[in-house]
Amino acid sequence: MAQDAPGGDELPLDGIRVVELGGGLAAGYCSHLLAGYGADVVQVGEPGLTEDEDTYLSRGKRRIAPPGASLDRVLAAAAVVVDGRRVDADGPTAGEIRAAHPHLVVTAITPFGLDGPHAAHKATNIVTFANGGIMALTGERERSPLQTGGDQAFLLGGLHAFAATTTALVGALLQEEGDLIDISMQECASSMLEYCAAAWEYESLLIERSGNTPRAEWGVYQTLDGWAGVCALGRQIPALLDTLGLPHEDRFMDPVIRVTDAKDELMAHVLVFMLEHTKAELVALGPSNKLPLGAVRTPEDLLAHPPLEVRGFFDDGAAGRLPGRPFPGFGWAALAPVTETSLDDVLGSWSDVAAAGVAP
Amino acid sequence: VKRLPLDGVRVLDLTMMWAGPYATRMIGEMGAEVVKIESPKAWDNIRTLMPRTEVVDDPWNSAYYFAEYNHNKKSVTLDLAAPAGRDAFLKLVANSDVVIENYRADVMGNLGLTDDVLFAANPALVLVSMAGFGKSGGDQDNVGYGPIIEMMSGLMSLSGYEADVPQKTGISYGDPVAGLAAVGAVALGVIKKRRTGKGSRVDLAQVEVSTKLAGVAFAALNRTGAAPPATGNRHPTWAPQGCYAVRGEDQWIVVSCTDDAEWAACAELIGRADLAALPLAERRARHDELDAAIGAWSAPLDARVAVDVLQAAGVPAGRVLDMRTIKDDPHLYARGFWVRIPNEKMRPYRKSGVAWRLLEANPTITAHAPYFGADNHAVLTSVAGLSDDEVAALAAEGIIADTLGDVSYG
Repeated sequence: MAQDAPGGDELPLDGIRVVELGGGLAAGYCSHLLAGYGADVVQVGEPGLTEDEDTYLSRGKRRIAPPGASLDRVLAAAAVVVDGRRVDADGPTAGEIRAAHPHLVVTAITPFGLDGPHAAHKATNIVTFANGGIMALTGERERSPLQTGGDQAFLLGGLHAFAATTTALVGALLQEEGDLIDISMQECASSMLEYCAAAWEYESLLIERSGNTPRAEWGVYQTLDGWAGVCALGRQIPALLDTLGLPHEDRFMDPVIRVTDAKDELMAHVLVFMLEHTKAELVALGPSNKLPLGAVRTPEDLLAHPPLEVRGFFDDGAAGRLPGRPFPGFGWAALAPVTETSLDDVLGSWSDVAAAGVAP
Repeated sequence: VKRLPLDGVRVLDLTMMWAGPYATRMIGEMGAEVVKIESPKAWDNIRTLMPRTEVVDDPWNSAYYFAEYNHNKKSVTLDLAAPAGRDAFLKLVANSDVVIENYRADVMGNLGLTDDVLFAANPALVLVSMAGFGKSGGDQDNVGYGPIIEMMSGLMSLSGYEADVPQKTGISYGDPVAGLAAVGAVALGVIKKRRTGKGSRVDLAQVEVSTKLAGVAFAALNRTGAAPPATGNRHPTWAPQGCYAVRGEDQWIVVSCTDDAEWAACAELIGRADLAALPLAERRARHDELDAAIGAWSAPLDARVAVDVLQAAGVPAGRVLDMRTIKDDPHLYARGFWVRIPNEKMRPYRKSGVAWRLLEANPTITAHAPYFGADNHAVLTSVAGLSDDEVAALAAEGIIADTLGDVSYG
């Protein structure tokens, strides 16, 4: 019984047809995850991605030229629209698409949402990241705020959109009617400012960027062969002190004194300890001491990292080894490079739905 | 009125700290009945993580960090290490759709709540575990919070002012992104259950979610033999792009010119028409000089003015909103993003509202974060089917509770 229940090979979105409009990283990442879990994704027009972005995100999709007025026929046969267009783009708006096709889940991903005074602002990744609040918290205090690398504002927006879209699909399955989801990437980031925004509002406690070592026991340090870090909460302080060979004295144990009067002393101990060890040695100390220790790994390090291989994390395909499913437990499609195809091909392959009268 | 998409879905939430509670916050906003389960002996540490500046009788019920991520949830306290607590939990499992937990990899097994035990109680269960490094593969004994996840995932290696000094994100970035993936896992599990009647077991590794977000770097590595180095605030292709000081203490804007026309407009605006015709290659080569020119223009300006005139000229630009200014951002204000949720144990304050705006179902925050054990009786009688006497017995044995007594912070 228990063995039957979980399963893991079925594609949960098999048969779900998705239209990606406007391209871009956020919409591309959202629909990439939908494709991986089994959706049939048709990308309308060139997605405006770099070669590497296109390689990573357009796998498993079909691409057609903008079909003009025939777009309506494609939408009629789809279940989901992932719309990465600007709010002032040509063509029907996300709201108009939704109104014309009540069965659709329409997920509109924009930097600032579909309305409001900044809705039409021009925004790149760094502009979006700056408006979401995370950038003000990132970087060294004596230098400018810093963006997180890898276009995270847009990819984060895509991840939000994926989670919101799959959730809305649950409702669509039940109610046989979709919804219009207005995903503002600014709001997505602003909803995940940890305790920082609330601290200002509730306690007048201003949290500012504090670099790699906001606290001695919570930071990134140089090691013999690179960079590593420790993140210890109060309950892990005894294990940290044991690891460092320090006594459990009040100045280290007290949560206030530790981050004020004793901060520099403890930081010096951690710094020296880290400098005397390799990344691998430090990572190995974590499990046995129940201590959150980690090392800064690179994509090169991870390509051959055995635990990721054992867990089947990677997709090995024409473009080499790439990160695959974000989580196991369901089937994950074999994602071939994007296929250029025709409108007729798409409509032909989706004709059963159109003929079945799903379209309004 | 359209129903919320997860209306009718019951979720048992064993998560703590941030990654899991962020997931179940979103799930609760989408209409699920989220029952947060803590132990009287091992509560969600976020309730008592931050030292308080005010003296209150029950600080665990009014912590703003906890309040931020636990609205729209019910609270049940159960000591799962006690046989009676474990039995009550399994009765809840039998009548629920989803169990989600983000314990360290060995904790559920140590509690006797293995996957097999849970699926024996409910074969159609959607079980989402989200340990930092998963429950298998060889790294599962690693211990980690968000910044450790960011380091170990490869993501941190892409960030930094200089290419050889990685820089961590200012929030525990690995946490909320894992939470978002977990919402997707729950939704896919519910879809699968509705389509096939079968349950799902998801062994999410937080680190893999972050590595997935670094995927473009892997594509570059495959193609060129090297992952792209960190470029600070600059863009790897277009120029100029950077972060520039404006008037006020620690106030900044970003400017990002993606083509010749945007740069030409920017150059005119900052009074450097002499530079407007620079082609991209020259703008990249003279980036320091262009940064200085933009910075000299922006330094005396108010951030809003600088951004408004840049945007009006067609130049992508934005304010670096900090924890003060983001609460007063006119755009977020106009969209009603910050909301006040009545809570008699807290002073009124504005917290982040619903980020996923389903414009027809219209999700809202309907309840403040729950007080510790506030729903013990209601949930244990109506969902687990316990009698009043059985609930009273659990209370007498300390298996359920609605107070923590004296607690230390941290």
